[in-house]
Amino acid sequence: MTAIEKIDKILSTRQLLYTLLIIAIILPLIYPVGLPIGISSRTKAVYDYIQDDSKVPPGSHVLIEIYYEVAARAELEPQVIALMKQLFEKNCKLVFLSTITYGPLAFQFLQASAPDVFEGKTYGEDYVFLGYIAGQESAVASLAKSITGTVATDNYGNPTSSLPLIVEANDASAYALVIVASSGTDTFGWYVRQWYTPYHTPLLFGALSVIAPSIEPYVNAGQAVGMLTGQRSAAEYELLVGRKGLGIASMDAQSFAHGLILVFIIVGNIVFAYTKLSKRGEKK
Amino acid sequence: MSEVEVMGAWLAAVVVVWIYSFVYKDNVLYRFAEHLFVGTAAGYSIALSLDSLNKTAFVPLGKDIVTNWHLIIPLLLGLTFFLKYSKKYYWVARYGIGVNVAVGAALALRTAPMANIIKQINAAIVPLWTPTDLQTTFNNWLMVLITLGGLTYFIFTLFPKAEGKSTSVHKIYRAFFLIGVYGMMVGFGALFANTIMTRVGFLIGIYLQYFQPQPYAAIIAVVLAVIAIAYAMRRK
Repeated sequence: MTAIEKIDKILSTRQLLYTLLIIAIILPLIYPVGLPIGISSRTKAVYDYIQDDSKVPPGSHVLIEIYYEVAARAELEPQVIALMKQLFEKNCKLVFLSTITYGPLAFQFLQASAPDVFEGKTYGEDYVFLGYIAGQESAVASLAKSITGTVATDNYGNPTSSLPLIVEANDASAYALVIVASSGTDTFGWYVRQWYTPYHTPLLFGALSVIAPSIEPYVNAGQAVGMLTGQRSAAEYELLVGRKGLGIASMDAQSFAHGLILVFIIVGNIVFAYTKLSKRGEKK
Repeated sequence: MSEVEVMGAWLAAVVVVWIYSFVYKDNVLYRFAEHLFVGTAAGYSIALSLDSLNKTAFVPLGKDIVTNWHLIIPLLLGLTFFLKYSKKYYWVARYGIGVNVAVGAALALRTAPMANIIKQINAAIVPLWTPTDLQTTFNNWLMVLITLGGLTYFIFTLFPKAEGKSTSVHKIYRAFFLIGVYGMMVGFGALFANTIMTRVGFLIGIYLQYFQPQPYAAIIAVVLAVIAIAYAMRRK
């Protein structure tokens, strides 16, 4: 057995790759290296957009769609928390809702993860959680016309018509911004079709890294003011708003894990090319 | 943290370790965690869906049936879905499905041409020469060429064939075809890289959100998982 064949055999053991990957992730989390985090122009553009009082006036209403399951918390929750911090600092009023059944659970985790961000904010006046709303795109379209007409009560059973925040902002025209934090691709399309196209309500996307390329055309076409992508953007945003969270904490581990995968890809390709060339040589 | 919350946190950490144990070998603890997850997720979704139905339809109907009588229509249409299980009346289910599909299609089609076609075409029409910004010029050229190349790749009905000597039309077609292929390969590469980022992100999140707060639970779960994997390997 040649050295290359031995490497091939070792690389074929998936358990080894998983073990190394787990080590590469856990070690930097236990012993942080503190690799520098640069802020991309795209994340800065989103931050500047929200900071701009002419675009998001202080005290304006912002709708936040929490469309992610518990597994996707790691990528989307840090983004939402950082955005919330910036918006609450501008005294914006936040209306949370979810068109996925896991939404109420995700919101509960969100509150537990960021008690400092919610501190001093009054439910019903500064923020509201409408809970899970069934109906997908139809529900999104209906909400744009009238929130009280779509949902009679919020997540906790309070009549929506009795919540001062919802009375102030009952349809799409009352919102300065809609943030869609979603682990699904379709959700972004619903809001582009039902909120941006008919009412021109500005949209901001918070997406998983894996689906970012799929929704990039909406951002490129100007149908969304920007997009935050995965933990990387979350870390950048946390730096911008000055709140250390899961995004910053995860960047060392992300870098090490990617480095390891890169090494495996390079070694794997060398082995593949060598094996192919040697087989060709044998045939001749 | 209350006792129930501590128990919940322990259960979360333990179950996550057992789910991940599958990457080493299928074992009894993985299967237990998987079934527990599927059952809990299904139960949770059903409970929330029924609660949503209750809040949207039954509560308003119970309060004031005269004003909200119209809510009976979607309820009846929804109930027709269950007639799919009847051999005699299965056809009635088509009415409920038909209305559902029609409403969805009507809502989407109202704005889809503008949102998904016209705006996207507009976005692809970009200046090919920006004297002050060469990077933008380069990017715009790339975008236009790859868009045209991608579209060329998916022409299946009509394309110039090379019979004998290759014509200039065929050469242009081949050039765009190849640009399309390479453009898509770059796109898939970016997608793959992003997929890794997401999966690694999930793993990091699981460590930070579940294992770090409950390290003893994670350690115990790892030990149990190792025993279960060893047992599964021995049985094989």
